[in-house]
Amino acid sequence: MSFKKQLQQRLPHWVEQGWVSADNAAHILSDAAAGERHGPRYLALAFSLLGVILIGSGIITFFAANWAAMPKLLKLGVLFSALWGSYVLAGVCERRNLPLLATAFLLLGVILFGSNIMLIAQIYHISAHYPDGVLVWALGGILTGWLLRSQPALVAGLGLGVLWTGLESQGFGREVHWPFLPFLALALWPVMQQRWRIALHVALIGLLLWSWFSFLAMSGWGRNDGAELYLVQVYFLAYLALFIGGMLLHGHDGWQSLAHVLQRYAAFAALGCLYLLTFPQLLRHGRVDSGVWWLATLLALLLVVALAAWHYRRSSVGVRPPFLNWGLGLLAAVMVLLLVNLAAERQEASMLALLFNLAYFAGLLWLLQAAVHLENRALVNMAFFFFAITLLARYFDTFWSLMDRSLFFMGGGLLLLGGGYWLERQRRRLTRRISVQREGGP
Amino acid sequence: MSLATRLLIIVVIQTLVLAGMIAKRQWTLATGTPVVLETQPIDPRSLFRGDYVIFNYDISRLNLTELDGDDEFERHDSIYVVLEPGDPYWRARAVYREPPPGQLALRGRVQYAGEQWWNPETQTSEEVRHVRVRYGIEDYFVPEGEGRVLERPVQGEVISLRVAVDRFGNGAIQALLINGVERYRETLF
Repeated sequence: MSFKKQLQQRLPHWVEQGWVSADNAAHILSDAAAGERHGPRYLALAFSLLGVILIGSGIITFFAANWAAMPKLLKLGVLFSALWGSYVLAGVCERRNLPLLATAFLLLGVILFGSNIMLIAQIYHISAHYPDGVLVWALGGILTGWLLRSQPALVAGLGLGVLWTGLESQGFGREVHWPFLPFLALALWPVMQQRWRIALHVALIGLLLWSWFSFLAMSGWGRNDGAELYLVQVYFLAYLALFIGGMLLHGHDGWQSLAHVLQRYAAFAALGCLYLLTFPQLLRHGRVDSGVWWLATLLALLLVVALAAWHYRRSSVGVRPPFLNWGLGLLAAVMVLLLVNLAAERQEASMLALLFNLAYFAGLLWLLQAAVHLENRALVNMAFFFFAITLLARYFDTFWSLMDRSLFFMGGGLLLLGGGYWLERQRRRLTRRISVQREGGP
Repeated sequence: MSLATRLLIIVVIQTLVLAGMIAKRQWTLATGTPVVLETQPIDPRSLFRGDYVIFNYDISRLNLTELDGDDEFERHDSIYVVLEPGDPYWRARAVYREPPPGQLALRGRVQYAGEQWWNPETQTSEEVRHVRVRYGIEDYFVPEGEGRVLERPVQGEVISLRVAVDRFGNGAIQALLINGVERYRETLF
């Protein structure tokens, strides 16, 4: 018996007993009904996708076994009719009000488009620059997702786009794979239009991966020229700008859900960069005598200032929460610190590290306040995660050489147990507060 | 825009892309100048795509000191290799970074640029500026089971390829020759 049916049977008794009011009973029943509507829907989509993929695999396996014996024309006939057939079936399912099956057939169409690219390359002995094939496949997925408003097709296109930039930047040693950015902008257009959260997750994961590949290309790891230090600063500012963009988006009705996703990834990357800047080992690293980093840092700073000013002007209309005011002060202090780091001699690394640590912990406190205000539980979890790993890192930095090893590990264990317990309590308290706020509580 | 129209746009665009791949290859085969290249099949594989042979052409490794044209190449650079007829195989005469006007040149991409050259005749390593080039005509798919036959030709069998080179430098395999006789020939259908 389903949960809803059980409730339908028991609730009248509970109401009779006075345990539940009649109004609440109606709310409980409607909530249970909504839950049932969501549950099987995802299950049906999963089964539809699985079914279509199995059928597709069976067809491909059958033809693969007889591939060599088939003439070219027949091979082409099979490839094109499978592609057209999947789209026709998607249309038929959509017309007959079977949207999940239609989505599954669209995804099959995207998969077949890619397999056709590879098989035609095989039939005609085309062995060109193979990431180009992945790009064409990805664009096919984006086109399908955009025109037919299919999130799974768009997610497939985005995933392939990430594969494309990975192949280009890792397999072919390009400096920085800039073409990925216009591709991402193109893919983000339908994502924002349709307000697709899952697709936005994939797009932002793609952006983080691209940032990492570009970082490897630009920083010259191993060449000992110190570029990575200044690059981390620029990355920090770029992701900070993205986070402020997320805050701006949060102010628009209906965009909060997407804004939360954007804030999550931007905060993760920005905190990661600031975390790296707390290490004197990085700050002590060699120095590049180039105006390029000054220019890049100043441009990124200008972007952050412009977005922060925009946000400040917008929020001044209503009641401005206090965290925004002291956040601006913190932002100004961090910016000065970044500029000082550009100009400072490397002998000052220990002092700079101390200042960056202070800014980092102040930033975490600010993020916690912002998370509560923005009702973003993921940000609370993230802030506690970064707090914990930084605390542990500082413990290692400080006591590794000072303490006896056994004492060091016992102390570390106690710190983990005690600190973990305290952090978890604080995290739960804040996430509970966000839940209460979301439900319209005080 | 109706559902049917949107579906039609997707089907037409994706079909045109796939047909374009075939058309581009056929255009090179139809209009390109046929050149016969010396090669050695090196590595047949059997992956998802069936058997295929990887060809190592005589022009895959170029000694820059013996060739006219440009000398400075780095990994991933585009390279245009000017070909001239020989007996029986076509040979590289010059290399350029840009397409040389009025000359038959095969376009490739530098896979490796180095200074140490292994001379198979003297079996010694020599200080020679050279490049390894990939032209996009290295893979050749053959019916299941025939890859290994091509990899290990019987004594006296010489494998070569007839490649069409179009005016943009694109190459396409026209035929696989064993002792100068066609074994496989590429057709549209």
